[in-house]
Amino acid sequence: MTQSTMRLTVNGKTHDVDAAPDSALLYVLRNDLELNGPKYGCGLGECGACAVLIDGVAARSCVIPIEGCDGRDIVTLEGLGTRAQPDPVQQAFIREQAAQCGYCLNGMIITTKALLLRSPHPSEDEVLEALRHHLCRCGAHVEIMRAAMRAAGHVVEAQA
Amino acid sequence: MAAPRTSKPLQGTLTVVRAASPVEAVKFETFIKITADGTVTAYNGHVDLGTGIRTALGQIVAEELDVSFARVVVVLGDTALVPNQGATIASETIQITAVPLRKAAAQARQFLAARAAERLELPVEQLVIEDGLIRGKDNRSVSYGELIAGEIIQLELADDVPVKSVEAYTIVGQSMPRLDLPAKATGELVYVHDVRVPGMLHGRVVRPPYAGVDVGDFIGNSLIAVDESSVSNIPGLVAVVRIGDFVGVVAEREENAIKAAAQLKVSWKPVPTLPDLKDIETALRANPSTPRKLIDKGDVDAAIAGAAKPMPRTYIWPYQMHASIGPSCAVADYQEDLTRVWSGTQNPHHLRTDLARLIHRREAEIEVIRLEAAGCYGRNCADDVSADAVLLSRAVGRPVRVQLTREQEHAWEPKGTAQLMDVNGGLNADGSVAGYDFATRYPSNGAPTLALLLTGAVPHTPAVFEMGDRTAIPPYDYENLRVVANDMPPIVRAAWLRGVSALPNTFAHECWIDECASEAGVDPIEYRLRYLKDPRAVDLVNAVAERAGWKPRPVRRDKQAEGDIVRGRGFAYALYVHSKFPGYGAAWSAWIADVAVNKVTGDVSVTRVVAGQDSGLMINPDGVRHQIHGNVIQSTSRALMEEVSFDRTSVTAREWGAYPIIKFPDVPEIDVLMLPRQDQPPLGVGESASVPSAAAIANAIYDATGVRFRELPFTPERILRGLRGEEQTTPEALSAPPQPAPASRTWQNPFAGRGMLATAAALCAAAIGIGAAALPWRAIAPIARPDASVYSAATIARGQQLAALGDCAVCHTSANGALNAGGRPLQTPFGTIYATNITPDVETGIGAWSYPAFERAMREGIHRDGRHLYPAFPYTHFAKTTDADMQALYAYLMAQPAVRAETPQNALAFPFNMRPLMAGWNALFHKPSPFQPDPAKSETWNRGAYLVEGLGHCSACHSPRNALGAEVAGAHLAGGFAEGWEAPALTSLSQAPIPWSEDELYAYLRTGESRFHGVAAGPMAPVVKELGALPDSDIRAMAVYLASFNAPSMDRATQEALAARLESSTGTRASAASSIGARIYQGACAVCHEVGGAPLFGSRPSLALNSNLHSTAPDNLIQVVLHGIAKPVITDLGYMPAFKDSLSDGQIAELVGYLRQQFAPDKPIWKDIHAAVGRIRREQTR
Repeated sequence: MTQSTMRLTVNGKTHDVDAAPDSALLYVLRNDLELNGPKYGCGLGECGACAVLIDGVAARSCVIPIEGCDGRDIVTLEGLGTRAQPDPVQQAFIREQAAQCGYCLNGMIITTKALLLRSPHPSEDEVLEALRHHLCRCGAHVEIMRAAMRAAGHVVEAQA
Repeated sequence: MAAPRTSKPLQGTLTVVRAASPVEAVKFETFIKITADGTVTAYNGHVDLGTGIRTALGQIVAEELDVSFARVVVVLGDTALVPNQGATIASETIQITAVPLRKAAAQARQFLAARAAERLELPVEQLVIEDGLIRGKDNRSVSYGELIAGEIIQLELADDVPVKSVEAYTIVGQSMPRLDLPAKATGELVYVHDVRVPGMLHGRVVRPPYAGVDVGDFIGNSLIAVDESSVSNIPGLVAVVRIGDFVGVVAEREENAIKAAAQLKVSWKPVPTLPDLKDIETALRANPSTPRKLIDKGDVDAAIAGAAKPMPRTYIWPYQMHASIGPSCAVADYQEDLTRVWSGTQNPHHLRTDLARLIHRREAEIEVIRLEAAGCYGRNCADDVSADAVLLSRAVGRPVRVQLTREQEHAWEPKGTAQLMDVNGGLNADGSVAGYDFATRYPSNGAPTLALLLTGAVPHTPAVFEMGDRTAIPPYDYENLRVVANDMPPIVRAAWLRGVSALPNTFAHECWIDECASEAGVDPIEYRLRYLKDPRAVDLVNAVAERAGWKPRPVRRDKQAEGDIVRGRGFAYALYVHSKFPGYGAAWSAWIADVAVNKVTGDVSVTRVVAGQDSGLMINPDGVRHQIHGNVIQSTSRALMEEVSFDRTSVTAREWGAYPIIKFPDVPEIDVLMLPRQDQPPLGVGESASVPSAAAIANAIYDATGVRFRELPFTPERILRGLRGEEQTTPEALSAPPQPAPASRTWQNPFAGRGMLATAAALCAAAIGIGAAALPWRAIAPIARPDASVYSAATIARGQQLAALGDCAVCHTSANGALNAGGRPLQTPFGTIYATNITPDVETGIGAWSYPAFERAMREGIHRDGRHLYPAFPYTHFAKTTDADMQALYAYLMAQPAVRAETPQNALAFPFNMRPLMAGWNALFHKPSPFQPDPAKSETWNRGAYLVEGLGHCSACHSPRNALGAEVAGAHLAGGFAEGWEAPALTSLSQAPIPWSEDELYAYLRTGESRFHGVAAGPMAPVVKELGALPDSDIRAMAVYLASFNAPSMDRATQEALAARLESSTGTRASAASSIGARIYQGACAVCHEVGGAPLFGSRPSLALNSNLHSTAPDNLIQVVLHGIAKPVITDLGYMPAFKDSLSDGQIAELVGYLRQQFAPDKPIWKDIHAAVGRIRREQTR
């Protein structure tokens, strides 16, 4: 497929990108827009490392071509907040030290954000369900759940 | 202490160094650097694999140097900057590698304190240091920076530096937030994957077919040819690189490198057969080995011979993966004088040695810059991809970033090796252990960096490493004890994985002693304590038993079942002894695991783990706790579900469905007990808590069920076999791969069956007879290209709608080609027909066609020049078009831009290549009469009929065809096959579990999705997309007409109720993933298809309702799994990835078979799915 100019709205800014319409959004975000948040994990939508928000819904950017993003509002981890001004979800993950290697962290934060956007006070089961198809290999699940529950407004007790 | 060398240039620093090895470009390697501005930099040769050692090392330096933690910057793993301290393995960083760093910090502090004493003219004892400010009693002070000022001070690291006593610690031993998390949580540049250097290109590698195998004389010399022309159409392709069996592509853009790697035609020699790794025990016994005795105490043979109760047991550990979440990535910039490599390697200096060998450079000419990568728990492909990047950068003379695919990482990562543990032992009459004779078989794990092997830079002869001995000696003081490690070469590519051989060895030690306790009628913890002499171990075991509320149980009692569930509790203990034998201990660990076993499904869940650990001094207690959590979760996953699958040539598990890892809902509750031992030296905590895992879980399963399981993983299938008493049966062997059969060229029409050729022959004979009698057709004279301006815009617009209805562009546009310019190959049962150019180009298109010529083609299937057209062009339907519509269509086609494009020659087999025969075909099968409305039906119905039967030509695909390719009379819309996809019946013959209704037909044709049937895929997706040009009223009319072929529809509420019933009865949440197919579904499909799953962009097609799963043929399901949905009707539907390069035929067959049984349980199972997958793959690649 030949290159063409596609317009993307990412983190509130529009970008004209010279790429084939069937290019996966992930590569365009990482290479053209130089965003680090979404990660390549599997290319099959299985692991969740590449998650972004599209129109406020969690999306796996490794399996969505940019032609599917026309006119849509894309938000990446960078668009949620910065080190100086983190989003409350990012803050909760930092507070709970909810990562080891941190490669899956993007997906965990994005999906928690998506959950809170549609359900501001989710139960523990809802959080588990939302994160079910996000893989973490280091075994940071306990801390990630604590972070997501904290972000969801639950009281998270200190660990003994 | 060595005397400091000082000089006085502009910038002042104090460094603590030691002499570097001669291979380095520098004379000294630095541990600590303090600059005049007060910043402190600490250098360590190990790297942070996600365990948080960066933070812990910072704490150690801050403590010894008496500066605030925030002041310390820790530099890890850049070969130009950090000391060479070997690979980051064996939980050594804190225990071993941090020692010189701590001393260096202490030495710097001591030097500065002495200098301050001199400056302030006070004795050192009277000075107090706070965050780098040295204060005297009289409140005069001087900072480290001031003491350094403009000097360059270099101290040589001394061995005899006194360090702080633990009581004085204020930073070490306190929980510190990890330094790296704010950057990771906000998307700053952290990982090697994020490195972007100017002018950087993107590379991908194409690996040989012997995926995951690195032993044998075929390694590095199996490549036959690379066909570069196969990727000549890739935009921005820079190079195709081939060196031995190393193949790579480089492109300007990453997605084009991906396309090139997928599309590149590479031919390889046949791959030799592997041992059958479905039967680990036989494969490991057959692998030649060298025994190495580790201990021989007492008289083992006599003790066992005299034992009252012999207890010979065998324990089997499978191949497992590191399974990093991020496939490995590297960037290399090859230059003549200095090559820089940004890498996620675990051992930068060792990698540099490998790279020097690969490109024939001195090590000093290579810099390896280590950045963080996805956690790797041993060794993944980080080194491999670094070497790949260097080769590709050298080939193109620019920086190249190489990203391995998920499939490559899964297939090629050096696996955690399988292991076989044989125990010969027995009990005395009093229940005590008579003797313990333990032998472990561990295929070695050299795993040379792949590029070295593939290019032939190192020989393919396997190295045998002595690594099966970790924790091979049990922690129990058996009187008669012998331990032998049988060292052996690798069978497949393997390297150390968290816990190395200690985890399997402990599985055997701890399961065996648990069995002994049962036999002796003694509580399993009490029994162990009889043989455990290490006081710290005893303390830990007691503490864990107390924490978990362990109730002594000398005799196992059958458990009260809760429905299908039985619960149990198991114990295991280990001191992880690592590094070269005899090695030394890391942290002590003990587990009490609670499990729930479903006796009907075989599903085991670990519900709770009490994990106790004695780590000595904990530098960062929160960090230790997180490591314990991580070890518990990861090792639980390994015990329950992890096992690499192989066929007889290579690794077949190449994504997360075939190699599942634990998910959130399955994570046990974890209670961590950390023994306060701050007065003891710090011990490695990165692996210890994994070591008792499998044994504790196995012992808990025994407690629950009364059955011992001695082979991992504890999958539902294995548990069920065990519960039914079939566990010890020999696993079914995998057959060796058959000689590849030549690809079948025969089209197999599932409807036609065996009689097809005979029928075709007979029908041909009839057709020839009629054809001979028919008159030849005349040519219609060419005309000058008609002037489209004679047609009104309204007529052209209408024609455009009609063209969309007729799907002209769907067939007459080739992939990436100009609209309607033809060239698209259409696979038919009779050969390949190329769609023609229907743009108004005079020479290659239809620009010279008069309206009568066009109309004749449309109604009678005759080319302007008099040749017969093949009925792949559906003129039998188009004949029904009204004159007015025909003219509008002509107007539109003539108003298009003319595109010059020759149509390729058809490739049809005899006799189908004889066009005149089509006259006979037409006489048999074609009635060129216009549409006749049925006065008994409504106007809408008749409109629908006109659209469906005319230009819409629905039945061209949705009706069965006879052996000559004509629609079967009397089976109108009864379902057919087109382009390798089933076009399902549109009549009451439909297999859909919820009958089609007018509303659902409308929804499907309008949006590409019906809630009760699924989404349009394959050749149907572009059809629905084209229908977007038609008004709602026409779509409604088509729905009305098609609905009339179905039984009267149920109302919406009834449909909803039926859907809910079907979905709940086939829901997978409650059921265990008790087959390969079920696990692939859970890993690969459920994220988007599970009913009730968390919303994701795109639709969530319900498989229980999907027509394709209920069909008589699996073809559409196989097609969509292989090829996904790249072009949905509307983008709102979302996209489905193609799994053709990720799943094997066998895996797809398992998945498809499972989906059929799970979601269409009342339909008969599909037979020969495996063959169908192969057939459909071949059809697609033709």
